[in-house]
Amino acid sequence: MNQGIERYLAPQSLDQALFALQELGEVTLLAGGTDLMPQAKAGRAKFKRTLMNLRGIPELKGVSREGNTLRLGALATITELLHDPLVGEHLPVLREACDHFASDQIRNAATLGGNINNASPAGDTLVPLLVLDAEVELASRPDEAIYRRRMPLSEFFVGPGKTRRAPAELLSAVLVPCPAPGHVARFYKFGARPALDISTISIGLAGVRKNGHLENVRVAFGAVAATPLRALATEEALEGRQLDAQTIARVAATARQEVQPIDDLRASAWYRQELVHNMLTRMLEHVAQN
Amino acid sequence: MAVLEKSRKVVAESLIGQRIPKMDAPEKASGKTRYIHDLDLSGQLHARILRSARIHARIKSIDTRAAKALPGVHVVLTAADLPDQRPIGVAKDHFPLKGEVVRSQRDEIAAVAAESVEIAEAALKLIRVEYEDLPVVADARAAIAPGAPLIHPPRQGAPAGAAVAYTGRPDNVAMRFDYSHGDVIQAEADSDVVIEDSFKLHYVTHCCMGVSGVIAEFDASGYLTLYSNTQVPFLHKREFAEYLNMDPARIRIIQPPIGGGFGSKLDVYPFEVICVFLARAAQRPVKLVFTREEEFLASPTRQPVLLTLRSGCKKDGTLTFRTVHTLHDNGAYTSWGATTPFVMMQTFSSLYRVPHCDYHTTAVYTNNPYAGSFRGYGNLQATFAIEQHMDMLADAIGMDPLAFRLKNAQESGEVTGQGMVFKSCGFKDCLTTAATRSDYVVKRAAYRARQKDAGAVKRGIGMASMLHVGGGAKIYPSDGCGTMLKMDDFGALTLITGASEIGQGSETVLAQLVCEELGLPISAVTVVNNDTDITPWDVGVHASRTTFIAGNSAIGAAKKAKAKILAAAARKYECAEETLDLKGGFIVRKESDEALIELAKFIRGLHFSDKAELVMTTFYYEPPSVHQDKGFKGDVSATYAWATQVVEVEVDTATGIVSMTHVTGAHDVGRVLNRLGLEGQIEGGVIMGQGYALTENLMVEDGRIRNPNFRDYKLVTAPEIPAMDVSFIESMDGEGPQGAKGVGEAPAICIAAATANAIENATGVRLFELPFTPEKVYRALHGQTEKLYWAPWKPE
Repeated sequence: MNQGIERYLAPQSLDQALFALQELGEVTLLAGGTDLMPQAKAGRAKFKRTLMNLRGIPELKGVSREGNTLRLGALATITELLHDPLVGEHLPVLREACDHFASDQIRNAATLGGNINNASPAGDTLVPLLVLDAEVELASRPDEAIYRRRMPLSEFFVGPGKTRRAPAELLSAVLVPCPAPGHVARFYKFGARPALDISTISIGLAGVRKNGHLENVRVAFGAVAATPLRALATEEALEGRQLDAQTIARVAATARQEVQPIDDLRASAWYRQELVHNMLTRMLEHVAQN
Repeated sequence: MAVLEKSRKVVAESLIGQRIPKMDAPEKASGKTRYIHDLDLSGQLHARILRSARIHARIKSIDTRAAKALPGVHVVLTAADLPDQRPIGVAKDHFPLKGEVVRSQRDEIAAVAAESVEIAEAALKLIRVEYEDLPVVADARAAIAPGAPLIHPPRQGAPAGAAVAYTGRPDNVAMRFDYSHGDVIQAEADSDVVIEDSFKLHYVTHCCMGVSGVIAEFDASGYLTLYSNTQVPFLHKREFAEYLNMDPARIRIIQPPIGGGFGSKLDVYPFEVICVFLARAAQRPVKLVFTREEEFLASPTRQPVLLTLRSGCKKDGTLTFRTVHTLHDNGAYTSWGATTPFVMMQTFSSLYRVPHCDYHTTAVYTNNPYAGSFRGYGNLQATFAIEQHMDMLADAIGMDPLAFRLKNAQESGEVTGQGMVFKSCGFKDCLTTAATRSDYVVKRAAYRARQKDAGAVKRGIGMASMLHVGGGAKIYPSDGCGTMLKMDDFGALTLITGASEIGQGSETVLAQLVCEELGLPISAVTVVNNDTDITPWDVGVHASRTTFIAGNSAIGAAKKAKAKILAAAARKYECAEETLDLKGGFIVRKESDEALIELAKFIRGLHFSDKAELVMTTFYYEPPSVHQDKGFKGDVSATYAWATQVVEVEVDTATGIVSMTHVTGAHDVGRVLNRLGLEGQIEGGVIMGQGYALTENLMVEDGRIRNPNFRDYKLVTAPEIPAMDVSFIESMDGEGPQGAKGVGEAPAICIAAATANAIENATGVRLFELPFTPEKVYRALHGQTEKLYWAPWKPE
């Protein structure tokens, strides 16, 4: 299973890691290993010649606040996010997604950066981060200095397992603006059982509540397309409209039309569309009543 | 226990009904138990099996040259290397290694023994197989269609009476079962209400925590030792001897602690025979342990069943008749799944008093995985159909379903149409206890009235009951068990029993029964139960039989020991044996409990005397049951167990998610022996039944298993487990050990049926097809499900 690995690197600083990436190019990155190892074992992922373990890089760890932005280190584990006071206070919707993430054992090892770079359409943290307007920070070291570029998370995903990260870049952090007063957000994950499941669909919803309607609406869906995605037509149907039964019905109908799921082992496309419709309705009713 | 100083009176409580932790619990909880996976023999090689890449194909060629040349590989075997292979399995319809045709995804083509698992894996990748595809039969209905491709086509030139593997079959029919009592045609004419429905039961598998494994070793004299997880070591000695052309006396089976059985280890499977072939060829011990994926692909499943049931009753609630036709998808080969009709027909003929009953099963060959035995042995499938029809008939005549069941329930003294004799029967107590404790009648009416209320989440309650053998099942020439008991100089006992421990707690219960007879604490016993060279014969751990059969056997040996001790004590104390007893580690006077002498001291006196005697006894218990006749009639078990389970659910009609909130069970267990063990057995069985009803589904498409992993094969996890209220009905069976019955299989049987009834109560929609996964339930609730119907079929 570990065939093809010729070199193992465990950099102790971001600088070391980026230098090696720039020099070597083809590198398999290891953080929590909860996706990489099963994929390699099943033959779905092939190791490159260098295996780089990122877990010793202090700059990629922890959660901090910089002005009005929360900086979530790429190596933050799901368990750390679940118990982090800043996340709990400002990003309860992300906390909730972490609470529905696999099992305790997997959460203890799995990292936020890994969940994002794995780019599964069903990745549990992706949908809440999309509705929170999160950005990814990509670091590289083309010369003597470290460069950092930022990109909205909504532009980061290209397809299943594919992102816009360049081979010489590392995802160093996720940057999330602290939500404004009146901000509401909801997350729903549908699995066949309450724990230890891959989502059949997931829904994220956010906005700022004003006089019975939502502004700056964000709606995102997981497991209904090749990537987790923002649902722009659904957002538009909801933006600024009185949250009454009529609006909720129209928004849910729009969402059902907007998603393009597939049939697979876990559910049919038809059922996924039904779930999107019914659960978005339930979430909006919950927002309207609270 | 204690001896009061002044009076020398011995005070000791009975062990029966106590909560006694399982004897193997400390070892297992601390991770010290050595399973077969933890055993390694000196010089051992590791084996892997190459399985088919096709579902149904002719093998054109197999090239193993590159695999044999790989450094570290000792042996590579194919069918061509084994001209003396003999057919295995219940119908002797396949060879361990397939040489000409593969008929299912799991089929074994080649095997490698190498220095390491990794080398063996690498060698498999070097084996080249050329196939020529044959048409795939992936559905039981397709297998009986005229002109269907044959899975085992007839072969010319086989000697008369030869096994299916040599002769083939002119059709795809693997087995037939036809049973009848009374006259169903006349009974139907006399019925006020007649209903008919089809039911479809799916594939699930055992999911033992410990995957399958075996180690085979020949000694210098050619004797074979098998380290095996079998549930039937003494039967398998004989079978292996046949497959290996050996003397059975030269085969020793040692059973390391097992990581789960549930019926999965009642048959000999190809991997076990292949491992012995490899050990024989390599002249080294060979170990073969499955991967988890292989466990899903190549271990047996629960029998999938398509079933059409026709039932009738009179307006006053009297059952009139039942006609049952089933189509069993046998898979490519025949294992015990094909014989589940033995149990299914008992439920149809005898769970309730039904004066007229016809039962017919056709088990057919397909290219699907083959089904084996699994806790409940067809009873989950039969009960699923019958208990839904009990609700439907009650509704049709406007009778409360509890009253309807009570009217038709069996009682003590009944002899059924199938010849089963119910000497002790707590069925009506089970019904009323479970109904009362769950408030079934009131809740059912209330939930039904609320079906059309606003709100997506509906509540429902449903009931189902079961009958299962509780005192063994006389299938083999003997259904007995032997015990040897010895007491050492310190009053400690070694209980040597033929009964296998598979996690069900038999060691603890057997120790308890022996200690109860001999007045000793349970800590006085060591149980030896895992080596055919040491233990006396037992037919195996199946059919909920061990507590009953091995328990009676252990009691028999203990009584003989007690009689010997008391006879010697009577001589010493010059009194009648009947006036003495054993209690709290002492020999006491029966009337006063006055201690005469510490038992251990007395035993030493016996040993180191002029007569020099040891206390060693043996006993063989054979239950007073009989074999069925050719019409499947006869009292096959020494007693029968009963249970009623009430399931409460919440159905989210916006998602189709069914949450099981409460299970109220009442079980006729004869008598509670180890209360803690019994509760564990019931709770585990309920959860297994819950998985069958709601989440577990081995997806088989075109003969291929789509979800051979725990990510997509969904076992119930802790948050889903319902609150449970379990009551024990003590019917004190006259033949049972201390009055007890076997209940190993009972708790899993009713859950799916009761859940179906609960969903109907919640939503008004009845589901005929398992499992009740969210999408399937959602489709049914939204009118997206076609009504299932299978027209009964019998071969001409």
